[in-house]
Amino acid sequence: MKNIKKIIILILVLCSFVGAYSQTKTTIRGKVIDQKDKSPIVGATVVESNKENRVVNGTITDIDGNFVYQMKNPANTMKVSVIGYQAKPFKPNLLKQVVIELTSSDLQVEQITVVGKQKSFNNLTNIDARDNATSTTKIDLMEMRNEGISSAADALQGKVAGLDIVSMSGDPGSGSSIVIRGLSSMGNAKPLIVIDGIPQDNVRSDFDLASATTEDIGNLISVALQDIKSIEVLKDAASTSLYGSKGGAGVLLIETNRGKMGKVQFDYTFKNTINMQPKAIPMLNGDEYVTLQLDEWHNARGVYDLPNEIAYNKDFNDFYNYSANTDWLGAITQTGITNDHYFRVSGGGEKTRYSTSINYVDEGGTTRNTENKSLFSRINLDYFLSKKLMFSVNFAYSNIQTKGNYEINQNNKVRQMAYQKAPNMSIMQYDNKGNLTGDYFTRNYDNINNYQGDGLNYYNPVAVVDLGKNDKNENKLETSFTLKYNILDWLVFRETADFQYTGRKENKYLPYNAIGQSWTNWTVNLAGEGNIIASSFKTESQLAFNIPFKNKDHVLSGAATWKTDQYQDENIYIESNEIPSTTITDPAIASHINWISSGSSENRSVTGLLNMNYKFKDRYGITVNAIEEGNSAFGASNRWGNFAGLAGFWRFSSEPFLNNCANWLSESKIKASWGLAGTAPGDPYKRFGLFVTSSPSYYITNPGAVPSNIQLDNLKWQSTTSTDLGLELNMFKDRFYIEGTLYRKLASDILFGTPWSGYSIPNSSGFTELGYFNGGEMKNIGWELMSSLKVVRTKDLLVQVDFNISQNVNTYTKLPQNYNTEKAVDLSSGDYPQRIQEGTPIGSFYGLHYRGVYASDADAVATDAAGNKLYDGNHNVIPMTFNGIPFKGGDARYEDINHDGKIDINDVDYIGNSNPKMMGGFGTTFRYKQFDFNFQFVYRVGYDIINMTAKNTQGMNGRNNQSKAVLSRWRVQGQNEPGLLPRAFMDSQINNLASDRYVEKGSFLRLNSVKFGYNLSPVLCQKFGIQNANIAVSARKLLTITKYSGQDPEVGQDASDPFWIGADKANTPPPRTVTLSLSVSF
Amino acid sequence: MKKTYKIRIILVFIALTMQFSCSNFLELVPPSGLIRSDFWKTKEDVQSVLMGAYSSFAGMNGDLFTYGEARGDMVTAPSNWQWSDQYKLMQSNITTTNSLCDWSKFYKVINYCNEVIKNAPEVKKIDGTFNDFQLKGIMAEAYFLRGLSYFYLVRIFKDVPFLTEPSVNDGVNFYPTQTKGEDILTAILKDLNGCRETASDPSLKSVAEAKGRATKASIDALIADISLWNFDYASCITACDRIISNSTYQMVPYSQWFTIFYPGNSLEGIFEFQFMDPDQKNGLFGMTNQNAYQYIPSQLAADLFGFDNGSVEKTRGERSSIAMLSKDNYIIWKYVGFAPDGKSVRPTSIQNSANWIVYRLTDIYLMKAEALSQLNRYAEAGAILDMVRLRAQVDPLAIADSPTAFEDAILNERRLEFAFEGKRWFDLLRMGRRNNYANKAKFIETIITAIPSTQKRILSAKLTNTLGWYLPISKSETERNLNLVQNPYYTF
Repeated sequence: MKNIKKIIILILVLCSFVGAYSQTKTTIRGKVIDQKDKSPIVGATVVESNKENRVVNGTITDIDGNFVYQMKNPANTMKVSVIGYQAKPFKPNLLKQVVIELTSSDLQVEQITVVGKQKSFNNLTNIDARDNATSTTKIDLMEMRNEGISSAADALQGKVAGLDIVSMSGDPGSGSSIVIRGLSSMGNAKPLIVIDGIPQDNVRSDFDLASATTEDIGNLISVALQDIKSIEVLKDAASTSLYGSKGGAGVLLIETNRGKMGKVQFDYTFKNTINMQPKAIPMLNGDEYVTLQLDEWHNARGVYDLPNEIAYNKDFNDFYNYSANTDWLGAITQTGITNDHYFRVSGGGEKTRYSTSINYVDEGGTTRNTENKSLFSRINLDYFLSKKLMFSVNFAYSNIQTKGNYEINQNNKVRQMAYQKAPNMSIMQYDNKGNLTGDYFTRNYDNINNYQGDGLNYYNPVAVVDLGKNDKNENKLETSFTLKYNILDWLVFRETADFQYTGRKENKYLPYNAIGQSWTNWTVNLAGEGNIIASSFKTESQLAFNIPFKNKDHVLSGAATWKTDQYQDENIYIESNEIPSTTITDPAIASHINWISSGSSENRSVTGLLNMNYKFKDRYGITVNAIEEGNSAFGASNRWGNFAGLAGFWRFSSEPFLNNCANWLSESKIKASWGLAGTAPGDPYKRFGLFVTSSPSYYITNPGAVPSNIQLDNLKWQSTTSTDLGLELNMFKDRFYIEGTLYRKLASDILFGTPWSGYSIPNSSGFTELGYFNGGEMKNIGWELMSSLKVVRTKDLLVQVDFNISQNVNTYTKLPQNYNTEKAVDLSSGDYPQRIQEGTPIGSFYGLHYRGVYASDADAVATDAAGNKLYDGNHNVIPMTFNGIPFKGGDARYEDINHDGKIDINDVDYIGNSNPKMMGGFGTTFRYKQFDFNFQFVYRVGYDIINMTAKNTQGMNGRNNQSKAVLSRWRVQGQNEPGLLPRAFMDSQINNLASDRYVEKGSFLRLNSVKFGYNLSPVLCQKFGIQNANIAVSARKLLTITKYSGQDPEVGQDASDPFWIGADKANTPPPRTVTLSLSVSF
Repeated sequence: MKKTYKIRIILVFIALTMQFSCSNFLELVPPSGLIRSDFWKTKEDVQSVLMGAYSSFAGMNGDLFTYGEARGDMVTAPSNWQWSDQYKLMQSNITTTNSLCDWSKFYKVINYCNEVIKNAPEVKKIDGTFNDFQLKGIMAEAYFLRGLSYFYLVRIFKDVPFLTEPSVNDGVNFYPTQTKGEDILTAILKDLNGCRETASDPSLKSVAEAKGRATKASIDALIADISLWNFDYASCITACDRIISNSTYQMVPYSQWFTIFYPGNSLEGIFEFQFMDPDQKNGLFGMTNQNAYQYIPSQLAADLFGFDNGSVEKTRGERSSIAMLSKDNYIIWKYVGFAPDGKSVRPTSIQNSANWIVYRLTDIYLMKAEALSQLNRYAEAGAILDMVRLRAQVDPLAIADSPTAFEDAILNERRLEFAFEGKRWFDLLRMGRRNNYANKAKFIETIITAIPSTQKRILSAKLTNTLGWYLPISKSETERNLNLVQNPYYTF
């Protein structure tokens, strides 16, 4: 304890900017006690202030409430403060011990949150949170932390209506989609993240908020979860337009903890998490696989010279290599363990407040050789130079080191490969006598492919996991300075400058023995190294006012803001091969450089904002915002966009005529808003028509130049208009809260195109795409309902139930001219035909109707509507055909809608819709004395999914491994059992065409999180000399209730594709995690 | 104290506002490449885009070979290339997803030419050093390249969009309808006849430039070729005569026949896309050489040229057109050989430097002979045929005085003389189309020789629909441009 005190004093001394005055020192003694029960107060801060009210030094009381302090100057004033009590100045007495009695501040938590004049930390407006008329939802993590929240996703998912967070797949790093109130923009559906008022540039693209653990959200925003004070979701254009073009898809405002006045506080949290890969789809073993392959060959080719790999041929050189029963998935899976340490020091005096934290996370992945080590640190410092002038500094640094598996093929990463890989192949190689050689079995040398194909597309996943390397190292630094000057009591000037820097480095390496090619082949002994540097500089100047009217009926406040934003990045990537050794992995050493690429980009914008809020009698309020943004991504004629917001509320509960309802109605209001926001293209250079060197660069000896893209003269802002109508009700002394919102969002001049791919145009233009294209209109209509009920609220027991529900319908009301509304209409590809129609919700499925299996050859004939067989002119039955190929017994029976004996595009029908009718979440919190328990469910109902995983693992038409479901497949003529799958058939889609065979109901209810915690009682805390301590066990995604047979019914929406349909391609449901956490504050 | 703070703050505010309110702050120009508003200022800009057009056209070398040979009877693919799109073409197993149905490379060249044609006259107004003579020369070259592109497109796809304006900005209509092939060729001929007078004279330049860039003779050759395709024999003969009367071009003696291909740019070369290893590579070496070949001579080619198979072609036969690696194992030699010995391979440093010959004098002679014979001027046609055969050290033929006999003889002569030069398929098409498809049966019989016997009957029945002689428009293109009408042969 003594050491700790020393440290505390040291820090206090450091942090209070002690002036180096040489004065006579005087020692005073004292004791701080509670006024009511006279008990000593531990840890109260005793500070000495000079004439300018600057803290010069201080101490804290010990376990008995005593303190001893040497004053710098007896003329200075002394003050005692501690959390939970009102601060109290006292007169120093050099002669005897001073006893200071503190009065408890006795504030009810509920009162603070509802009535407290908390300023919105949305720095751009100057408005009280309770007067906000726009559609926003704020989650206070400080409050929730005590309820045992273990990740930011917990905080958001299922708690904020209209926010849809869906993980794409449980495969690590597969990302998620975050959608606020449906899709409105092509490509960029990611909300803008704003930390402490500063928009963040470098949000990682693979971020997955849905299954985000603490580590992930940290990765996203480079903030430790424990540092987050609150998250606010801005949903309507009236509020998002303040953030200009980047806020078009919604805004997440994140506020971090700042130091508070009071004694220095230490927090430490340790968490240990076990990440488990849930049970995989049961796949065939080697023997079953070989049988299936034999079936496929036999049905496709009849009597056929079987490939050696599946024929039982002991003379075959690789006989032993193709006689295994390998569980490929098991061979690359592990249980990941995560250790997370968080340490924070915070506190402050009259002049200075500080909060500094370090978070170190070591996460083990669920795939072998994957690991993620991150370090986050953050210092928030507020310094009051005088009563009028305040200066804040935020400094954040993070380092994330990721170890991953080499990606030979973007679409075929190791886990996917493990699902496809033939299970009769062995991991390690045998010679022709059955002895292990010590090498991985990677049959690809001497131009011999393995049974499934070449070694690049069908590699040995275990070898690639063990030998390949794909490491990333990211450093991010952010510094921001804010100066706040109270020019007058009612006029404040604020200046913020923010600098962000991100450096990312990636290193990859693939040795020849991982896929068994000669080391001179260009795909192996290949090393790649890439560097990306991005930096941004932002400034914000604001003049905010709050006009003091004599008549308190009027409140008028507002702000004028001028913002600038500059962003630039550059990257370089170098790749070499023919590296002469498998231990050298640096591309710069190699003899042969495959390619070097580099690029850079710069974007600037300036924004002027005007905000005005007027409130009359605390009952009627109106907010007006006007925004003008200039963005360098546009040409001079379309550069400036004008946006606006208008919102108003009526706090009817304060009306005098409702005074007699006060016993059941508390603060309630009706609000309405309208806003116009804009979206700018992501690539600022695409608008230029460029002339570049031709390829080849010369003809004869003359240099050549060619236009490389089309100049965009018509590029303009995408604009989004949204209208909201909402009602907030607080009833029964704030026991019951309910909020409902109706909204309509209309995006017009939609920006088609992303920085990576543009809007396709006919090649006859000499080009393949336009960088961007404005066209079409998209409408989102929906409603949201959120409610919360405190069932029991006593000193010892709290039972609270939260519930929310929302619905959103997404429609293209107008498509660009010449837009092709149909896609994949060639059935033989096996793809689902897709079409979009103006005015109908997107996400409808089209396909054939699947009607089981033809039991025998004789059944596969054309019939009329009544089921009678059709005959041709020669009185022969007409066989059913697909592309001229007749169906046989065991083939899939598709409904021949027009009864022409042919299965073709004319038999395609509507077979489902992937838009959920409703979605949301609910949860319960119990708190009894020191124990708390809570759980949170999320649900989605009324939508269909295409189970693509089943299509890929039950098609039986190739050499990929299939799931155990195919064991019940048609084999002999006449076989006719319910649920029988069609026969196996090599290299043909005929039994695996796009049909409703794979369309399933997706509705589900998922236990998203459950947590049990215990807080150490104050008595025990005092005994151990600590402030508080708690221990908690939590688990995520433990249980999903659904009729869906696939792996994961949570299927994300993809805003970049107007043809989007909900198809589940995930091989793995999201991982389950169990976390034990310990935290202590002293 | 307070005052200084105030002043400082105001200063900071002013400084920041000033810094960022300048109008230039938002004008960011890409760090690499020249933007359009800075381009088209000097004659060098015009020249370099024209060179970009040549360079891109030359870059199609492998495709030009494929379009001219794959569906003909002279080439096939070895077994390890039988998955390729080229092989599917050989088998007449064509779907709209075949990469060779993508016409974008031609339209790239057309767009570059359109840029030159539109902007060169504008540049002349700004650049005082750009004289009228240079401008007209450049315009003629652009018209030639655009005309050649469209001629290929019409022969491959029949009816295609006819674009004469460059895609300069997003205000252009990117969704054209097709124009009838005949109408396109009429317009092209008009362009070519309009610019031929002012086209450059080859004698002014280096040999590579004289043969590698479009000259008056190149334009005449293209006019002759298109006229023959249109069965406008009189115009064809006029154009041919203009070239034949130009003494710059001479048929090389038989002893130098192989110099047409190595080193190339021979006396008889009229227009050859130039390649210079290492930067300007002709991919045909890689596609036809011994180890990495995609194309090998068909059995028919082996019979025509292989000495073991009884060929009498001393000059154009084995060791010149093809080389024998071992018994019944041949490769194409024109792009691989260093000498007419079937053994010496081009040295590594110039392996990919073989030119792609578009027109040479012998071609002009045989075009003229074909036109003459169709006008029943048998004696003149026969004389040309004899001259070509004499040059190749083979005996003259006794041909009956009938258009059909001459047609067969000339077709056969062209097959021998221009083997693997990307002419065969178009020669066959011309034959098949002549006199309102009178030779349909003969045409079909010729092209199904290379197809597996099981499919011969099905395909010959299908190919009686002459629309099947053309390629379909690629699927992605018809999906992107709804104004296009797919070749009905492929819409089943």
